[in-house]
Amino acid sequence: MHPVYRFDKSMETLKRAMKVIPAGIYGHLGPVEGAHIPIDAFPKYCSRADGAYFWDLDGNRFIDYMCAYGPIILGYHDPDVDEAAARQRALADCTTAPSDIMVDFAELMVDTVASADWAFFAKNGNDVTSLAVLTARAYTHRKKIVFFNGYYHGVSPWAQKLGYSGILEEEVANNIYVGWNDLEGLERVFQENKGQIAGVIAQPYMHGNLADNQMPAPGFWQRVRKLCTDNSTVLIVDDVRAGFRLDMAGSDHYFGFEADLICFCKAIANGYNVSCLCGKDFLKTAVSGINYTGSYWMSAVPFAAGIACIQKLKRIDAPKLLNAKGQQLKAGLIAAAAKHDLDLRVTGAPSLFYLRLADDPSFMLHQRWIAECVKRGVFFTSHHNHFINAALSDADIAETLEIADEAFAAL
Amino acid sequence: MDNNMMDAKTLAYINLYAVLGSLKYLCELSPEAKKLAGCRPVSIGFDVHGGPAATLTVGEGCCTLTEGVGSCDIKLPFRSAEKFNGMIAGTVTPIPTKGLTKVGFLTGRFTKLTNLLTRYLKPTPEDLKNEHFFNVSTVLMFRLIVAAAAQIGNHDKVGRFCAKYIVDGNIRVAIAGGPAAYLAARGGRLTAVQTEPETMLSSMEFGSIPVARALFEGTESSFELICAGQVRMTGMLLQLDNLNRILDRVGLYLA
Repeated sequence: MHPVYRFDKSMETLKRAMKVIPAGIYGHLGPVEGAHIPIDAFPKYCSRADGAYFWDLDGNRFIDYMCAYGPIILGYHDPDVDEAAARQRALADCTTAPSDIMVDFAELMVDTVASADWAFFAKNGNDVTSLAVLTARAYTHRKKIVFFNGYYHGVSPWAQKLGYSGILEEEVANNIYVGWNDLEGLERVFQENKGQIAGVIAQPYMHGNLADNQMPAPGFWQRVRKLCTDNSTVLIVDDVRAGFRLDMAGSDHYFGFEADLICFCKAIANGYNVSCLCGKDFLKTAVSGINYTGSYWMSAVPFAAGIACIQKLKRIDAPKLLNAKGQQLKAGLIAAAAKHDLDLRVTGAPSLFYLRLADDPSFMLHQRWIAECVKRGVFFTSHHNHFINAALSDADIAETLEIADEAFAAL
Repeated sequence: MDNNMMDAKTLAYINLYAVLGSLKYLCELSPEAKKLAGCRPVSIGFDVHGGPAATLTVGEGCCTLTEGVGSCDIKLPFRSAEKFNGMIAGTVTPIPTKGLTKVGFLTGRFTKLTNLLTRYLKPTPEDLKNEHFFNVSTVLMFRLIVAAAAQIGNHDKVGRFCAKYIVDGNIRVAIAGGPAAYLAARGGRLTAVQTEPETMLSSMEFGSIPVARALFEGTESSFELICAGQVRMTGMLLQLDNLNRILDRVGLYLA
């Protein structure tokens, strides 16, 4: 039996933080957006991380299935990536003229991503999804953007919804919403907005939060592609979450179509801060004319880390490796639930699986099970897809399954 | 309405169903209110052109609100939501089209009842020093907020957008050791039911009456209360996330 953790130091630090940091930990890592239910069952701050684990302030070790919400694809402190970053740091990082390693990285991205003719670097996923929408509007001189319900494309006002704090009606007035896999709905939207739709933006499959993930129906993407082409609309794939976990050539390649613009972040540099918008040649002039940059966007260390990361991901065939680990975990978790007469649904790609106990539509049983896992050292989260990293060992998976079983028994 | 973030029609629904609707709970919680309502029943129909229409019956120690104005002793028609809101704010004097002989009830008992409600909903710091008053006032605020949330979810433009994303099922809202209620979501519409639900998809519970009051008055941060475990949310977050956006607008309308 695994010991049940306590989080005293985490909670003390959260109290300190509440005085000087809005919400203590703002955003998706924090406790106020529903990620920590109940609040005292989750660690709040990290003291260190290595391989497939992180440790909290109370010295508790966690097998990490969130991987910093995606960036850690090779495991924390991957030696190849860290060494490349250290080498570049000794040369130059944030400089007046960008380091030429930026060109090396762009060439690698164009060589790696099937639909890419160019690469534009920034820092976060939100930077490049926003740039993609700006590019679509700049190229088409149109206003409207089509989204698929359940989407998440970042936190800029255009990507939020009416009713969200601080968001004006005017900022989302040109957003059109369609159901995932709803081709009829999409066709209707194109008919009703003839000549007005600048872009369609979508994740490669529906991996929104709070719901079972859904793959594209057969022929879905090919039809979306054709509708965009026929209507001179830019097709944007937000591969920020799934990028390099399904296919090194991009998730559009995995599903058999070509995006006009494709957004990467998270797994691109194993935790070093860089994101990338790749695009087709016909959009290069439009994107070149957009006033869009940032103080740290051309820092060289993340470029070096990105090159080392992408090269290693290719070398180890990361999508295949992560999928196999995910399959192994998925089968074990479903069996562990079944042992307790519970129906655990595991959806989405195995390398970024989503969990839901189907026995209780309120999620309360599911939230309790997740909390029991976390309190025993497996860091799952209740309503977000998870992430597999390459450092996760068979022993880690076996220990995860033991803890999952103990957590089911504790319900 | 000057503030383009809200609309007069939604406010009229709130004023009728949430504000006047809370007279029912005032009579249950305050002996003084119960006594004021301890007369032979008199029904007042509020008929807002292009807006809500309901009848408030005051008598035998309680107040009840029912849909429509088909059968009432006194009928108060309002040409617009703004006029009705003006009556609630005290800037418009309504003229009955029916029950002129009972106008004395409006200016007498009914006005005393609504004045008492105002005293509980907008209390002085001195009143709040009395623990019983504090508790009654907070419970009334709770009832009012739950009822107003439903009206905003059904009528306000932003509220309707948020309510559309609330999956069907009951959302429990409660104060530990105090009142409980729920919002029944069905097809993007919300109904406020002021009792403990038999089933629920999600729950938002405030740790105590003082915690609830601090939250309602904005003297404590909801984020700090969540982090301190004093506001507990469980269950279907797609309901709670969108309800929270609607609750944010309750403050705007009731300010």
